[in-house]
Amino acid sequence: MERQRKAQLAAALMAVVGQDGVITDEDELRVYECDGLTIFKARPELVVLPRTREQVEAVARLCHRERVPFVARGAGTGLSGGALALEGGVMVGLNRMSHILEVDVPNQRAVVQPGMVNVWLSNKIAGDNFYYAPDPASQTACSIGGNIAENSGGVHTPKYGVTVNHVVGLEVVLPDGEVVEFGGKALDPPGYDLTGVFVGSEGTFGICTKITVRILRKPEAVKTLMGVFESIEDASNTVSDIVAAGILPACVEMMDTLSIQAVEKGVRAGYPTDAGSVLLVELDGPRAEVEALVDPVSRLMKQNKVREIRIAKDDAERLLLWKGRKAAFAAMGQISPDYYVQDAVIPRTKLPQILREIGAFSDEYKLRVANVFHAGDGNLHPLILYDGRNEGELHKAEEMGAKIMRRCIELGGSITGEHGVGREKRDYMPLMYTPADLEAMLKVKRVFNPDGLLNPGKIFPTTKGCVEAGAVGRDGLRYRPHRLEVMGLAQRF
Amino acid sequence: MGDPAGLARRAQEIVGAEHVRTGPAAAPFAVDGLTPGVVAAPGSEEEVSRLLAAAHGLEAAVAPWGGGTKTGLGNPPRRLDLVLSLARLNRVVDYEPGDMTATLQAGMTLAAAQAHLTQKGQFIALDPAAAARATVGGILAANASGPRRLRYGTARDLVIAVRIVHADGAVTKGGAKVVKNVTGYDMNKLYVGSLGTLGILTEVTFRLYPLPATEETHLSAFPTLEAAGAAAAEILGSPLVPHAVELLSAAAAAAAARAANVPWSPGQVGLAVMIGSVPDAVHAQLADVARFCRGAGSAADHHLRGAAHSACWEAVREFPGPDAPRSLILKGSVPLTRVPELMSRGEGLAGQRHLACQAVAEVGPGIVRFSVDAGGVPPERAADYVETVRGVAAELGGHLVVLEAPLDVKRRVDVWGPVGKALRLMQGLKAQFDPKGILNPGRFVGGI
Ligand SMILES: Cc1cc2nc3c(=O)[nH]c(=O)nc-3n(C[C@H](O)[C@H](O)[C@H](O)COP(=O)(O)OP(=O)(O)OC[C@H]3O[C@@H](n4cnc5c(N)ncnc54)[C@H](O)[C@@H]3O)c2cc1C
Repeated sequence: MERQRKAQLAAALMAVVGQDGVITDEDELRVYECDGLTIFKARPELVVLPRTREQVEAVARLCHRERVPFVARGAGTGLSGGALALEGGVMVGLNRMSHILEVDVPNQRAVVQPGMVNVWLSNKIAGDNFYYAPDPASQTACSIGGNIAENSGGVHTPKYGVTVNHVVGLEVVLPDGEVVEFGGKALDPPGYDLTGVFVGSEGTFGICTKITVRILRKPEAVKTLMGVFESIEDASNTVSDIVAAGILPACVEMMDTLSIQAVEKGVRAGYPTDAGSVLLVELDGPRAEVEALVDPVSRLMKQNKVREIRIAKDDAERLLLWKGRKAAFAAMGQISPDYYVQDAVIPRTKLPQILREIGAFSDEYKLRVANVFHAGDGNLHPLILYDGRNEGELHKAEEMGAKIMRRCIELGGSITGEHGVGREKRDYMPLMYTPADLEAMLKVKRVFNPDGLLNPGKIFPTTKGCVEAGAVGRDGLRYRPHRLEVMGLAQRF
Repeated sequence: MGDPAGLARRAQEIVGAEHVRTGPAAAPFAVDGLTPGVVAAPGSEEEVSRLLAAAHGLEAAVAPWGGGTKTGLGNPPRRLDLVLSLARLNRVVDYEPGDMTATLQAGMTLAAAQAHLTQKGQFIALDPAAAARATVGGILAANASGPRRLRYGTARDLVIAVRIVHADGAVTKGGAKVVKNVTGYDMNKLYVGSLGTLGILTEVTFRLYPLPATEETHLSAFPTLEAAGAAAAEILGSPLVPHAVELLSAAAAAAAARAANVPWSPGQVGLAVMIGSVPDAVHAQLADVARFCRGAGSAADHHLRGAAHSACWEAVREFPGPDAPRSLILKGSVPLTRVPELMSRGEGLAGQRHLACQAVAEVGPGIVRFSVDAGGVPPERAADYVETVRGVAAELGGHLVVLEAPLDVKRRVDVWGPVGKALRLMQGLKAQFDPKGILNPGRFVGGI
């Protein structure tokens, strides 16, 4: 953008949000050049920080009139390069719209602004014994607007689902500045389910300015069991047996030997470092139900040759059991200079098979892989360990990552379970979808965002057909710990 | 469309003459008084695609047809040339109990699907009416649900993948056969509840749930809706995890009690609470439910299990029942604390207009269903009733749709009611997916 035009735009934006609501300084803008996936960078020309829906409207109208690309940003914790100003232009930071507008406990609803940090809502209603269920590991920082855009998950998804299952209404500023409302406190609004369609649209349909969510009564009881197994196979079989027994835990999380070793070098959660796998199972619900299910779950672990079972007696013990799991990603730094994490999903029964195949890839590429995953819903997070200082290793890691993704799709899965496509995985879309499938999605995009001015360059492949394995940008997909992880505020799951 | 004979010929070429009906044989497939010239039942997704492409070429108006249980839903169609029956697409495509997912062809009935899944102790957690006839595709298109939605949600929460044939015959998929997936837009959400106006579903993949070890019910009689509503609010605000909490007007409660074979004093309203879990947890929770009900002033309490439990819920699910005059059925949605008020005002307004009315409500989700006997009533009066109750629902923070109504009532009201400024987007979606307007034209919101 040429200087004079940029100055004019800044002045026009300041007229909307005030002097202190527009960032033009290059140094300050650097904060906004990437999200939690720091390998992709694109600096916006201006950042605007609205406080009200009306201001968002005015900003959208201005960008639309001036044909300036723009993109919403919540907390910038995304892990797919979603909130990136790939074509420059204006970034709309929503941190100043962070209020809880209404808590309606009797009707089990809350109405919040998009910049509200996920965990604030649960904190606010904890005294009423209510909570907001979707709990991404980044919940102390990520915004609910970002959660809406990514349809974020959490560890409780096996029982409680993901963000979309908890959102009942949205107010949205469309890319041309028009305001629309979908749904509200009452369910089943007539017409197409635009709330459902908007959730997971990765900031390409509009900027949501108000969100109505369900809030849930806290469960009466929670019980966490940790099983230590000789092999990942035994742990996987336990999960299958739990499912076959008709038990639906709130969380089912698993780690392999390498992850356990990394964790023990880091936070010392007390996991045995020679174990093949650690399996965490959390049961919640009415006390009588939880108590009745602890024994059957323990029995199924024993049937699968569990070496040791630990059952948390209180909250402190429960947190200790979780400590290792939560620290898993950050702990990788203990055993490898770099790693590259994936988010693919497979049907749960394919778990042993994909793990064997990942092991074979690991031998083939001579790169270690640590496996940490949401076993309850088949969401894998293989961490490919490499050393970026060694010539070609990053490239090998990428290539191997692409092969894993392809195998996950061949096994009936998906390339991303919760982090989104964004900039990072856009060129992998054709692995999963035919041109006709993608065209159907583009039809929806054309309705919401006909000029493509809002959040350009995301989700859809850049050059059709050019999706060979490993065909990611030369900048690669390299892991850097997020500021939050370094600060110990959050861990990646 | 000017060429019904041409359409019939093409249909016969594609699906075989034995699967095509024309003339009087097509009469049972009329929608709101419009009889299609042709009814065709393709035997594969490919045939659906070819048939739709042919209809598209001829600009023939198409109504997809599952079990025909929801043909009353929607505004009267503007035109109807071809009914495309999914009845022959009735197989299980893929069932992996360990993944708790099942892929079914769209024309399979819910009852058939459940019979298959029950063998492995799993089920599709949807319990709409008429499971023996309703097909999974139709249930999705109409977004039908039942009392257990309190625990399990609705189709939007349970469908993880679909295959769909678009108006021009193109076949696409949405989602994936895994329970967690954010790759691209969530197209499933668009198709659920779209009433066949965007495409024809051929395959649906559900995430399944384990069948609860036991389900039992507490049924209480109350003197007033307010008292029953207060008990429901207590239960819903507690850590109990009921599978269904249903408020029943006096007539509906009497019917449910009769089905469950328990005594019922005339005039008493009912509150039915279903608990499902392992037996110990069911009994512990039922004891709490009973305490809440007595605390709110219940006049009689019944513990239903086995056949009585099932019969009670069948009566609720199939409301207003096979014997009731089914002339006008409304569905109101409000925030849950407003349910008793919507129910009592809806009944009161019916009384003022000399209309016999009964109602049931899923209290947690805030859904009230009214059944009004509008037989022999001037359609203006019935239409006026709809608009008035709709106004009450709006005043209470919700909305109201007409699920079924005689044609002369439908001609006087919009069955969906207003959808606000979002209509522009909905019309845009329709124009993108079905530019020629051949799929169920006129039946959906805002003339879509
Ligand atoms: C340490 C760590 C742990 C994590 N753990 C998890 C996890 O367990 N589960 C999980 O699912 N994710 C996880 N994530 C990823 C990330 O936190 C989520 O994707 C989160 O939802 C992003 O929220 P945000 O506010 O940071 O959004 P941003 O990164 O700012 O933006 C993400 C996308 O949302 C769009 N957007 C933001 N606000 C709006 C709005 N108001 N309207 C429309 N679009 C908007 C942006 O344009 C962008 O496309 C983790 C990330 C980190 C760094």
